[in-house]
Amino acid sequence: MRILPALWARGNPKEPVPFQEILPLKLRPFVSGKGDKTSNVCCLYEMSLVFGCLKENEFKESACGREIKSFQECFTNYNKQKYITKEREAKGILTPGEKRLPYRQLNKLLRMYPNEK
Amino acid sequence: MFTRPLLLSSKLELTRCFKFPQNGMSQYPSYYIKPIYSNDKQTDLIKSGEAQKLAHVPTRAALNDQTSSIYHDDLICLLVNYLMKDGNKLLARDLVEKTMEKIKRVQLEKYHKLANEEEKEKVVLNPRAIIHQAITNVKPILQLTPIKRGGVTYQVPVPITDRRSQFLSMKWLIEAGNEKERTVRFYDQFAYELIDAANNTGRAVKKKQDLHKQCEMNRAYAHYRWS
Repeated sequence: MRILPALWARGNPKEPVPFQEILPLKLRPFVSGKGDKTSNVCCLYEMSLVFGCLKENEFKESACGREIKSFQECFTNYNKQKYITKEREAKGILTPGEKRLPYRQLNKLLRMYPNEK
Repeated sequence: MFTRPLLLSSKLELTRCFKFPQNGMSQYPSYYIKPIYSNDKQTDLIKSGEAQKLAHVPTRAALNDQTSSIYHDDLICLLVNYLMKDGNKLLARDLVEKTMEKIKRVQLEKYHKLANEEEKEKVVLNPRAIIHQAITNVKPILQLTPIKRGGVTYQVPVPITDRRSQFLSMKWLIEAGNEKERTVRFYDQFAYELIDAANNTGRAVKKKQDLHKQCEMNRAYAHYRWS
């Protein structure tokens, strides 16, 4: 199902253009995993708070205990969440009612309900 | 005649199913649990009744630095391991022990020079406590990673895990101890550096603050972080 080579093979048509079904008129039964890479930028707001506090207090950490703690907690929570979702995806557990599905789950669903022939 | 291809296909199936074991090169199978050698943890397990369950679970042998001695300290064991070169643990342990002796001597000297009783109480005489304090004081909260964007490599500030920051802290302390005159012993210099770091001064703490300053300077690149 290579789209471009199929279109090249068609040549230069003359009016009126007769309809030809070059590719089957249906969607593919799978999605590629390319679009699933989420950015790992996290805790930017907390980091900016830490920077602001450190600059105010001449880089003395004792003055910014609260900000630093919240920043570190944010990062550990993020890592934990990432680990959990990764494990779930590896197991292939489907969560009902989830809005953003990872590609593996999408493929699984598509395989469960294939195109009608 | 018909059996051969069948056999071959089953063999193929087997090779496809084979997974490298999770425990890598370990001589123990993956169901062997790690030993619980600390005295406190053992008493806790006995109190909670977990010990009964663990009694018949296959357990790995304890490593040679894992003891239930009251002098055992996980962090200091780690420090010994980070200090070790070419697997010469005997030397590394000796250096750390001599460092602790030096710290004790320096702190005792401070203690006896003070006349005031209140000030005397403030001097920390436990070298282990000083090492722990020094390591927590030198721990960075951020680090810089080079990230390439449009042909230019940016130094991007990123958060670090607790374990990584602990490693960097010990590494910087050891590096600070190594920066010395040829005639000065490593353990003496290391002891001074540890005492300085415990008081939030010294070269290792300076290094941490420099890193933080550089991270602050590069804060505009923080959103470049990706993958």
